[in-house]
Amino acid sequence: MPSIGTLRVGIDAGGTFTDFVAVLPNGQMHYHKEPSNPADPSAPVEAGLRGLLQNEAIASQTRGLLVVHGTTIGLNAVLQGKGARTVVLVTRGLRDLLEIERGRLPNHLSLHAVKPDPIVSRDLVLEISARADSTGEITDFPTAAEFDAVCEEIGRLAPEAVAIVLVNAYISPKLEAAVEREIKARIPGLLVTCSASVWPELREYERAVIACLNAKVHPLMEAYLQSLETRIAGLSTTAKLQLSTSSGGVLSLSGALERPIETMLSGPASGTVAASRLARDLGISSGITFDMGGTSADIAILTDARVEFTTSSHIGALPLMMPVIGVSSIGAGGGSILKIDSAGLLKVGPESAGSRPGPVAFGLGGTQATVTDCYIALGIIDPTNFLGGRMTLDVDAALAALDAVAKRLGLPSPQAAAEAALSIATVGMSTELFKLLAQGGHDPNEHVIMPFGGAGPTQAVMLADDAGLPGIAVPPAAATFCALGAVMADARRDYLRSIGQTGWYDLPAKIWSAWSEMRAEADAWFAAEDMTVCGHRFEYQIDMRYAGQSHNMIVHVDEEVVASKNLSGVAEAFHKAHEALYDFRETDEKVEAVSVRLSIIAMVPEVALATLAPHQGKVEPSSHRKIFHRGGWVESAVYQRPSLGGGAVFAGPAVVEQSDTTTWVPPGWTVTVHPTGTLLINRSNADEA
Amino acid sequence: MKLDPVTLEIMSMKLSAAASEMAYFLKRTGRTLYIKESEDFSTAIANLSGKFVAYPQNVGVSGFFDLDCGPAIQAVGHLDPGDVILTNHPYMSKGLATHLPDLTVIRPFFHGDKLVAYGWAFVHSADVGGRVPSSISPSNSDIFQEGLMIPPVKLVRKGEIDPVVEGFLRSNCRTPEPNMGDVRAMLAAMSLGEKRVQRIIEQHGLETFENSLGDVIEYTALKSREIFRKIPDGVYEFNDFLDDDLVSPIPIRIRVKMTVSDGLIDLDFDGTDLQVAAAYNIPTAGIRHAQLTSWLTSFVLTHDKTVPQNAGMLDPVSIHTPKGTVLHPIFPAPVGVRHAVVHRVMDTENGALAQALPEFMPAACAGLIIPTVLAEPEDANGDRNVVVVEPMVGGGGAWNGHDGPDGRHSGPVSIGNNPIEVTETGAAVTILRYGLRPDSGGPGKWRGGTGMELTFKAKRLGSQVLGRGMDRFRFQPWGLLGGKPGAQARTILNMGREDERDLGKIDVVDLGPNDTITVLTPGGGGYGNPFERDVEAVLWDVKRGLVSDEAARTDYGVVVGGGVVDAAATEALRAGQPKPDADRMFDFGPQRRIWEAVFDDKLMRRIVAVVLAQPSGGRKAFRNRLLAPLLKALDRYRPLEAEELAELGRDVTRNLEAAEAAARPNSEHQAAA
Repeated sequence: MPSIGTLRVGIDAGGTFTDFVAVLPNGQMHYHKEPSNPADPSAPVEAGLRGLLQNEAIASQTRGLLVVHGTTIGLNAVLQGKGARTVVLVTRGLRDLLEIERGRLPNHLSLHAVKPDPIVSRDLVLEISARADSTGEITDFPTAAEFDAVCEEIGRLAPEAVAIVLVNAYISPKLEAAVEREIKARIPGLLVTCSASVWPELREYERAVIACLNAKVHPLMEAYLQSLETRIAGLSTTAKLQLSTSSGGVLSLSGALERPIETMLSGPASGTVAASRLARDLGISSGITFDMGGTSADIAILTDARVEFTTSSHIGALPLMMPVIGVSSIGAGGGSILKIDSAGLLKVGPESAGSRPGPVAFGLGGTQATVTDCYIALGIIDPTNFLGGRMTLDVDAALAALDAVAKRLGLPSPQAAAEAALSIATVGMSTELFKLLAQGGHDPNEHVIMPFGGAGPTQAVMLADDAGLPGIAVPPAAATFCALGAVMADARRDYLRSIGQTGWYDLPAKIWSAWSEMRAEADAWFAAEDMTVCGHRFEYQIDMRYAGQSHNMIVHVDEEVVASKNLSGVAEAFHKAHEALYDFRETDEKVEAVSVRLSIIAMVPEVALATLAPHQGKVEPSSHRKIFHRGGWVESAVYQRPSLGGGAVFAGPAVVEQSDTTTWVPPGWTVTVHPTGTLLINRSNADEA
Repeated sequence: MKLDPVTLEIMSMKLSAAASEMAYFLKRTGRTLYIKESEDFSTAIANLSGKFVAYPQNVGVSGFFDLDCGPAIQAVGHLDPGDVILTNHPYMSKGLATHLPDLTVIRPFFHGDKLVAYGWAFVHSADVGGRVPSSISPSNSDIFQEGLMIPPVKLVRKGEIDPVVEGFLRSNCRTPEPNMGDVRAMLAAMSLGEKRVQRIIEQHGLETFENSLGDVIEYTALKSREIFRKIPDGVYEFNDFLDDDLVSPIPIRIRVKMTVSDGLIDLDFDGTDLQVAAAYNIPTAGIRHAQLTSWLTSFVLTHDKTVPQNAGMLDPVSIHTPKGTVLHPIFPAPVGVRHAVVHRVMDTENGALAQALPEFMPAACAGLIIPTVLAEPEDANGDRNVVVVEPMVGGGGAWNGHDGPDGRHSGPVSIGNNPIEVTETGAAVTILRYGLRPDSGGPGKWRGGTGMELTFKAKRLGSQVLGRGMDRFRFQPWGLLGGKPGAQARTILNMGREDERDLGKIDVVDLGPNDTITVLTPGGGGYGNPFERDVEAVLWDVKRGLVSDEAARTDYGVVVGGGVVDAAATEALRAGQPKPDADRMFDFGPQRRIWEAVFDDKLMRRIVAVVLAQPSGGRKAFRNRLLAPLLKALDRYRPLEAEELAELGRDVTRNLEAAEAAARPNSEHQAAA
């Protein structure tokens, strides 16, 4: 159990800001933001932590410090092609593994389509005579002389890291480990990643990507984490540092040093974890997270208030087959640019002004009107109080840019152009959202939007309106939500065993031992991981199909079924899932399995979300302002979010302001403040009914 | 256009998203690997005349958006809400289905009791009967061998599947359950589409919806014509070849005359070869057809990828395909492998466009897909395990300012490969090399993309290798403006060993114990004079092993050894190179030059004309008699030789003259007789 007074701090380091959420033992929270510093990313982390620790209110109530940190430096390095210089060793005959990828040409309808640069170029890929067959038996292994020659070549290429990817190594990690030993014996101190040790799944290209990503971020993550550890140790002698992962969990520092790849997609994953927790507290079963920033909006789907995992995510153009929280990105953000095409149609995006030069109103050199300029022109965002007054906005410049658009479209005013552009941007988002939901087989009519990020709450009601969604739940501290998710996340690790293409009669020989081996591995990991948790549990999954099918389904299997080695129970889990999707089932004998999965989840003590005091007296707006809506100005109430108590109810047109975002409530929608501080926004007539 | 520009953009996005939603739904619930892995399916929303207004992007088959549901709808007559039409008949649907495995459905979309649009979907099904399992074989000689033909009929009446139609379908295919699974997934996708259309109408009103169906097409036509105006007015002629039609060794010629005027394009395929007695014919019904226009749609999308994908994109294009040719075959010509010819139609249009826009268009790409298939020996039950080891593709053509992509290229199909570990789990095979093919990209100032290599051996005695879609063994992907052609395809037994042997274009090969087989695909054509290629770019290719030291010297005039360029020697070598012929736009490679020196445009047109003058039933026999000297002497596995071919040309010409004379009513020939 945690010591009573531990201060938990979640930190999400983004491109522009590093966000902090400090959770006191009584559930009280403090929020903080520091400008990010790409040159020295751990400096703002230290500065922010120091500030929090020096805060009297915090210091008096806490003893000990737990920091849970999500960082995108690994991701950014890879996206910007700044990862470590990596040499890849592959089985002879497969030098082009990374060049060929999975064979598809992006944008293939273009006559000028080009293939992406490989993650490691061909001159840094070396072939060695090391191979296993499809049963895992080693059929080829280099001689000492070949190892000498390969190591000489590695020395000449002078890499910062090495990845080893051998054919059929997914069956047993031994082959790659043996090669690693020989290499390290000749080149001590080399950072080596073996594909099967990180993620032993069938499919050599995808496994190679995982190994290369891990190798590429290894040196810089090691440097970053070590400097961070030193800085945090300087602040508190009892401080513990953990890292957020792409699967919505946390890892100890030593785990992150070994498998830095697991931290790469942690930002969006943490936000989704927090949304899932909040959805549970609010009784929302089907939800859509909507994290809208400057260039894109991240969307994740919640089912039964739980996050969904995917094994087909991407890092840039690279596939990632490890399970991560399913977050999809659509190219629509506050920086999306308005454009009129040659046939006179108004387009919004996909080009974005991002945060530099940004919207025209930011006065940072942007000249093309963006979605954010539209919010400003319509009066949705208060130009005198943007980011709590930290940034002054040039409204006239925004209006002038929009006026140019209006003139070309033959619209009467810049506001009319802004409204037209927002309706196009909104339809762009709702149609992308529908496509995402269709891919997962979800019905859009049931999902509540949970918006966060700088622009999410501003846009969310318009989106719900067009998409026909039932409502919106704006979380408290929407702009630092990912940092909150970091503190809430459980420790988690996923394991997988590939068992080839195993038919029904061979399953018992493979799956029970795979699960028990993985469980032993997970137990050992848990015992060694230095974490404060209040219990742990296992989740069992298996990738199955019927003989003759080429497509697997990942099926959950109950713990009792595994414990009692109930084979027909495993089959039944698959039959049921298959029947739900395809309307038919086959016999047990037709069942095949390809992979067996296990996850260990070690629960951190639950963060008690503070409850708002009930609202006292009448719900009074702090002021009023005119907002342009459906072709005319409507007088709208302005509420300050910190002044709203639990149970407060008010109707649109209204805006709710807080220091880091603005929620727009058009006419026809009603806000109810939930005791968690969440703004629940529903259609007004639905409330009356 | 009737709608304002803001509403039009909104409607365009919503229609396109509805089509995509239908496709994602179908992909998720479809049953067979054709849907899950190859994504050989699509969906669309059509207007009341049956042309597509919205087509999915980034999912399913791209480029089928200029099909026409009109003829199939007319064939069925009155439609009630909840009805669904089924067809796979290439001739009776007038090219809506392009071969029999493509089970195609159309559903009328109603708002209340008013017909407002149509939904369309197709799935390439696992089998529709016929001579061979999976129904497709290049050597089928008529469409009856290709399986069950379904004229446009109502599969579903007012929401109820007609058991008689289902019964016919089930009884005439080898895989009734998976087929019906896929059909049910299509029906569900259709009903989702109707709901989405109804929702759009509820949000925006019926009038706006109806106006949008016309406006979206009109807008697209405006955009595409604007892009086609980039092509200078003029007449551009070009032809390209398939090596042969599999059942005979005679090349198949695709010929186009492209006339461009103010953004309007006419494609006249007059002079294209006669339909063949193998499954290479494209059933277009003589109308503008998606399979003849994909290079033009790619041209549009290269300039602006946001142009909506619907029938409007081809509104500025007209097409003429003479009846009785491979591009407009007469029933019952077989059509199963029509995509092999589609590649060459694209190359032909590319060549015509390259004359108009040499600074923009690429050299020829490899232009083929070879699914390399391993068939293992029969097991105790008599079943054979048949797997695609890898679907092999080749390199892309280079263009001004960029090398062609290595080992893949542009076009309507972008196919995923098979992980080696998956293949080795599914069959007793060891893959020894799967990679890029060095020195195969056509040399040029901008290099053609390399082809690919696949070498493997089978562990079980009695295993066979089958090659489908093999082409470009004789005629190379051409180079442009001084660029050299890409290397041609090869198949080799035991490459690098003493018993190495070139197999040429294979049908079925028996593998002996320890035999290895290698498939090498063509590289793309190069662009511009290779001796002007940036020395650093050549060095980078050498460092990556895609160009050998020797090829760097002979093809590029770059002297390199041990990863270092000898600048002085390079300069000297390059200075000594003769200037390339500035007038020669294309480098077709030696084999095509030899062929066309004899069988030139004039001779080929005369042959086609004299055969087409015959009654259709007798054309095949007549042509075989006319070309008897070629049929006898040409050997698919042997390069053409100039002198021999000239001799054959004289023999054919003699036959031709006699035939032409016989066709003239009062000819001397007849008088003499």
